[in-house]
Amino acid sequence: MSEELVADNSLSSKLILFVTDGAPRSGRARDNLSAALIQKGLDGWPREIDLLKEPGQALAFGMFATPALLRIGADGPKAVLYGDFSDTGSLMRFLEAL
Amino acid sequence: MTQVEDDQAPNGLVKRPTGIPSIDIATCGGLPAHRATLVLGQPGCGKTILGLQVLACALDRGEGGVFVSFEESRKQILRDVAAFSWADRFGETSRCEIIDAQSMKGAELSGPFDIDGLLAVLAMCADRVDGSLIVLDGIDQLLRRQPDPLIAVEQVRQINDWCDQRSCTLLLTGKQAQGGSQFASPDHLPGIEFLLSTIFTLSTELVDRSLHRRFRIAKYRGSKHNGDELAMVIDQDGICLPYINSPSDKVGGSATSERISTGIERLDDVLGGGIYRGSTTLISGQPGTSKTTLAAAFGVAACQRGERVLYVSFDEHGSNIVRNLTSVGLDLQPHIDGGLLALHARKSWDVVAEEHFMALQQMIESFKPDCLVIDPASSLLKSSTSHSPYVALERLLENTTRQGITALLTSIASDDDPSDEATMAQVSTLADTWMVVRFRVHGGERNRSLSVVKSRGTAHSNQVRELVISSEGLALADVYEFGTEVLMGTARVEKESEEKIALKLRERERERRRQTLDQEIEKTRNQITQQQNDLARLVDELKYESVYDDILEQEVSHYQDRIRWRREPNGQATAHDREKDHQGGDT
Repeated sequence: MSEELVADNSLSSKLILFVTDGAPRSGRARDNLSAALIQKGLDGWPREIDLLKEPGQALAFGMFATPALLRIGADGPKAVLYGDFSDTGSLMRFLEAL
Repeated sequence: MTQVEDDQAPNGLVKRPTGIPSIDIATCGGLPAHRATLVLGQPGCGKTILGLQVLACALDRGEGGVFVSFEESRKQILRDVAAFSWADRFGETSRCEIIDAQSMKGAELSGPFDIDGLLAVLAMCADRVDGSLIVLDGIDQLLRRQPDPLIAVEQVRQINDWCDQRSCTLLLTGKQAQGGSQFASPDHLPGIEFLLSTIFTLSTELVDRSLHRRFRIAKYRGSKHNGDELAMVIDQDGICLPYINSPSDKVGGSATSERISTGIERLDDVLGGGIYRGSTTLISGQPGTSKTTLAAAFGVAACQRGERVLYVSFDEHGSNIVRNLTSVGLDLQPHIDGGLLALHARKSWDVVAEEHFMALQQMIESFKPDCLVIDPASSLLKSSTSHSPYVALERLLENTTRQGITALLTSIASDDDPSDEATMAQVSTLADTWMVVRFRVHGGERNRSLSVVKSRGTAHSNQVRELVISSEGLALADVYEFGTEVLMGTARVEKESEEKIALKLRERERERRRQTLDQEIEKTRNQITQQQNDLARLVDELKYESVYDDILEQEVSHYQDRIRWRREPNGQATAHDREKDHQGGDT
């Protein structure tokens, strides 16, 4: 992932992507999300948490399945989308709310 | 050596006790260690409680554990366990983690997902609590979201493999599909029964509008186990399979030849000295035939011997029983106050038979009675049960016999039909002694009769006797046969009265005759004495007569001598003759 995407604070403050590094579905999720963000014309990249490295974050956010995309509102977590985002329709609808 | 090691099967299968005794017995040791066990069941059948109880038992043994709920929050879980006696195990402890993993509920989905993150969390928590027991409660909430069920099944395999690698024992609970195959595996986990080595199923059924729970080990690969559908009870101590006995329970107690009193002296005589200690006695009869009074008499007699008596009534409140029995001279209160008598009143319809059985078992375990009274046991049979109604009673009596507890049961017969004795035949087979009390109506009176139908090991009387109740207690009276009829009540009293008068008259006549004979004997004795006196007098007289005759004879002889002398020719007697004559004259 590029430094520019990580540096995009606006998106990383609104979305968290939970992955398990090395898992094919996490890789596919990144690809599908990247394509969707481009399609939406959104710049930047969500904050990423690798649960294998930070299992404590799973407890903190209550996220146990990966990949998962957590949308955060001004007053905390709002919604979660689980899966490898192969169903682009549901991913696009999820991103609509941003 | 731990029990896990003890229960190691020859094929290398190691078991980990659940800590629930009856389940450990049914599974011959507990859960397979380092593997996943699936618990399937409909909502409300006790899956979560089973998981929590197994965890509580592990905590009790000083082990650590992790509970992950996909259905409830931590707060809800703690509220669930609050009603159980082991709730305090989940208090402030560093050995247990309860994880709220219900975020999947209501979440959107976009393709398949992995559970590696979950396993990473489990590994972290297991290390933190230094434990190896993990419960994933409501795993179906997570896995049913997989778009492809085969992925879900594969992830169960992944969990199972992870258990092996991490040496963790895992309990997975999930909802069961309605009906379906023998295992009725969930739709979202097709073929799961082939994947996991151990599957338990929990189920519920409404019988007579009462909820009945069942437990079944649907599969336990590589291990001996009880595969029956077993009655299950959830009470304040959690889950229990009431009819499962521990192997040590199967060892029977030795039979004793000691006899103990029924509390009624004449009944003891009828039974050859009382009933055997450790035996079971059944008293059956219609309502009002004094079954409770007989049972209480037995209890009071036991208390008077210093024995402990557990009296369970399905009929009346404890205070009513005490009050009513006082009127027939049986005072229970001093024995209750003295701690020898424990009186418990239960309502048969309150809970199902299995729960009554459990409660009675617990009372027996805590009170440790020498004698047990269940009045009436037929009410226990009427309580709702998914098994044969006699199973609860059979198991209970099996336990009392083994523990040497003398049991007395009463049973209400339903009608006046004499063949009613057969209606309790099944229960009577459990009893060593069976007595029947019934009403006999004769001469405008209703009287109670008692007969001993059977008494194992006793040459008991086969006679029907009248049961007489007064303010001084119970007694048995002989009945009188009059032609083909048996006399009881007033008729018996009249007959007894007539008998008494006749007896008195006979005694009086005998006395008179005795006195007459005594007089005759005395008179005869007097006559004999008189005649003996006469005899002695006559003998004396005779003796006197003979002496007199001798003297007379001498006198005659002397006289003749003198005459002869005087008539001598010389007319003179010699000097000697004169002297002789002179002496004879003096005598």
